[in-house]
Amino acid sequence: MIPEPLMRYLVWPTVKFLVAFVIVQVVVAAMTYIERRVLAFMQARLGPNRVGPWGLFQAIADPVKLMLKEDIVPANAEKVGYFLGPMLPLIPAFVVFCLIPFGPPPTFVVTHVNVGLLLILALTSTGVYGIILGGWASNNKFSLMGGLRSAAQMVSYEVPFGLSIVGVLMLTGSFDLVRIVRYQESHAWNVLPQLVGCFIFLVAMTAENNRAPFDLPEAESELVAGFHTEYSGMKFAFYFLAEYAAMLVNSCLMVSLFFGGWSLGGVIMGRQVGLTTVNLQHLGLLGGVIGATIFLVKVMLFMVAYIWFRGTFPRFRFDQFMDLGLKWMIPLSLVNIVVTGILILAGAGTRYPAMGEVVLTLFGIVVIAAVILFLMKGPKPKARPAGVAHARRVSEV
Amino acid sequence: MHVEYPKYKWTDRFLLLDMLEGLKTTFRELFKPKVTIRYPEERLEPADRFRGMFRFSFDRCIACKLCAVACPIDIIYIDVHDETREIDGKNKKIKVLDRYDIDVKRCMFCSLCEEACPTKPKSIWLTTKTYELATHDRSDLYFNMQQLEYWDDRPRYEELGAAFEEPSGHELPGGAD
Amino acid sequence: MFDVQEMEVNFGPQHPSTHGVLRVLLKIDGERIVEAKPIIGYLHRGTEKLFEAMAYPQCIPHTDRMDYVASATNNLGFVEAVEKLIGATGIIPRRVKVMRVMLSELQRISSHLLWLATHAIDIGAMTPFFYCFREREMVLDLFEDYCGARLTLNCMRIGGMPDDLPAGWLEKLAEFVGIFEAAVDEYEDLLTNNRIWKRRTVGVGVLSPEEAIEWGITGPPLRGSGVDWDLRKVLPYECYPELEFEVPLGRNGDTYDRYLVRMEEMRQSRRILEQCLELIKTTTPGEIKAKISRVIRPPEGEVYHSIESPKGELGYYIVSDGKSQSAYRCHVRPPSFVNLQALPALARGHLVSDLVALIGTIDIVLGEVDR
Repeated sequence: MIPEPLMRYLVWPTVKFLVAFVIVQVVVAAMTYIERRVLAFMQARLGPNRVGPWGLFQAIADPVKLMLKEDIVPANAEKVGYFLGPMLPLIPAFVVFCLIPFGPPPTFVVTHVNVGLLLILALTSTGVYGIILGGWASNNKFSLMGGLRSAAQMVSYEVPFGLSIVGVLMLTGSFDLVRIVRYQESHAWNVLPQLVGCFIFLVAMTAENNRAPFDLPEAESELVAGFHTEYSGMKFAFYFLAEYAAMLVNSCLMVSLFFGGWSLGGVIMGRQVGLTTVNLQHLGLLGGVIGATIFLVKVMLFMVAYIWFRGTFPRFRFDQFMDLGLKWMIPLSLVNIVVTGILILAGAGTRYPAMGEVVLTLFGIVVIAAVILFLMKGPKPKARPAGVAHARRVSEV
Repeated sequence: MHVEYPKYKWTDRFLLLDMLEGLKTTFRELFKPKVTIRYPEERLEPADRFRGMFRFSFDRCIACKLCAVACPIDIIYIDVHDETREIDGKNKKIKVLDRYDIDVKRCMFCSLCEEACPTKPKSIWLTTKTYELATHDRSDLYFNMQQLEYWDDRPRYEELGAAFEEPSGHELPGGAD
Repeated sequence: MFDVQEMEVNFGPQHPSTHGVLRVLLKIDGERIVEAKPIIGYLHRGTEKLFEAMAYPQCIPHTDRMDYVASATNNLGFVEAVEKLIGATGIIPRRVKVMRVMLSELQRISSHLLWLATHAIDIGAMTPFFYCFREREMVLDLFEDYCGARLTLNCMRIGGMPDDLPAGWLEKLAEFVGIFEAAVDEYEDLLTNNRIWKRRTVGVGVLSPEEAIEWGITGPPLRGSGVDWDLRKVLPYECYPELEFEVPLGRNGDTYDRYLVRMEEMRQSRRILEQCLELIKTTTPGEIKAKISRVIRPPEGEVYHSIESPKGELGYYIVSDGKSQSAYRCHVRPPSFVNLQALPALARGHLVSDLVALIGTIDIVLGEVDR
């Protein structure tokens, strides 16, 4: 029989990680389909609809095609760097999934690390090296520029990315994602008191992932395909996989930090209302599955948000993008930290210790309400007769 | 008239309304009808005047060569000889077509030949609503008189697979340009 | 200690955002452009020389292939130049004039839509591309209904039009005119206010009015700099004098102003089409050809005629020797070619990302640049 400690520290984590790994793979494959489909629907077209019902098997056809494709290595490429490039971002992107609580503990957390958040930040920031290396090793000027842009991006957005979380840390008083999620059950979702932090996190995570409107390293209209211009076949697929895995990680972080993680409900007046951690834990494994599903649904919403941004915004210019990161996002996050800190301290020791948080929450609610109000008030959608673009009859053959 | 610059209120800037407006637009568009035509299954019906593949009528043609003259890129090849024939009891000298070839692969479908044709109805016309002209061989796009008149039995796109096994029966002159 | 070296990059001819086969030889310092040198000629087909070997009516389909996204205006320029040469300008029937204006304004819309689509996708907004193509499709459907082709229209003849309008065409046009305003609003929702779009275009590639005139720039880039010069107004042709429309002008001469000018031009074109729908009712159906001889053999002489194409002043200079049915020499003044000259000056000191915005804002078509 396997001894208990081995079981606890080696076997179970491995099994859990493998399950998480498979789920991540499936989600990434599904994302390629969802991205193309949703983007197409935003653009008045249909997107993939050929392979299988509604084009669903496109998610399988694409990797198969990439696997079967000839692997071309440019003649004067730096061979070692060229091979390492796609591998490097993949490793941290997958390792990070060990640290993310997909559902209520203990079952759905692969490894419960009490400084998990710090470790995640450290790991995700190493992903960019592969991009820089691949861009440089391709021996292509456009790739090189893509790689350098990526480096600049990392430098200017890693800081606000980290700083935006500090507000949450001050509120919850922990680096432990499980505790952060459980904190949100007894208080409001962190997005309300930390609206500014959430916004900075959203911008920074989009930038970290090289996604539109910050997709400068692979800006196809400027740098052909950026750092992966010279990559094809499985190597390209690795870059692709790493990008989507990183997107998934950041969405998971977003959900855990700001949107209540796996729980849907809260602790009101000391009573467990809705699907909170405690209620889910009562349900046992079923509760865990429900929690993980809620988590995944929330994560997918943010994945769709990435697509939505891509479908809507133009691309930043290199210098403006750095401006935004260094001159706006960093000061803004610092201000956010200072204001949050002052408000929390102002409440501490008085008769209303939660005063600061209440003020921050009210501010968040007011801003969100104002945005919704202004958007509703905006110019009415003008009449546009449906489907006139093809007034000509279509013949079915 | 000078163009109007959009006015920016500070509230709009602060609340990122300019960005959210765009997000709203794309979101609205999600639920609007799509315009994609799934090509081989669905096809657009060409307009009545659509300039597509040629059709030639030997019976109507009077061998005047006006189309060949009108053609800007000289891809209509016509050979004619004179013949004396008895029509209505009189001997008449008429022109008889020997050759009427069009090198369709070089054609730019301007329909000047159709316009130049003096017969009524036209002996050469492009309004056949046919646009799927791709072939596997360049020489298949050189059409002679018979082919120009009876190209209908050419295999269509979706039938090509079956027809590809056996020789199609068209013996075509190759590379005449 | 550090050896600083400028990098030379070949931007094109196979590059996604050089709009065809433009090649720009870039010298860059980091991302900053030190020198940009456009190299053209990859699409040269000798159109001008071809005109010397062809009868005048045969040249019309060849003019389609110069600015292949705006062939109606290319046809119009050539046809009017020849009419001027043979002295037939005065006898063109009214219906022909209105039809020509309608087609060229539709063409302006379709050309500007293509410009907006590609300009936006160059700057990274990919969605307007599809919206623009959706509406452009309607314009192309109208062209197809009228003349049977969607792109290379060959839709005008010397002294008239090839055909009368088909039944139901005007209703279809009215339908398009009805929805187009809302469509332009939709593009503007996505771009005009967007702060990223503004950051990418405001102050990029500033062209002062004096510079613009010195470079010989015409069309929307010139008007974006604030010079009130539209050949439809200053040297009116066809039935433009009867029509009411504004010439939009910019103030700063940057990419954003040129964008606004073109957006407004689309709205004005829609307005012209609206008026044409009324005007065409006052003409006699079927009157689509002036009485000119079938064989066109102009007297000895030369003529220069220019029209306002979507991209600027499109001029045809034709010399006739009085004996043959084809031009002795035909020179085309393509707006894209002349406007492209300004690219090195505009691009200097900007970033690589701006170069694609600048190529987009000049709105070149390589078929016209190289001819």
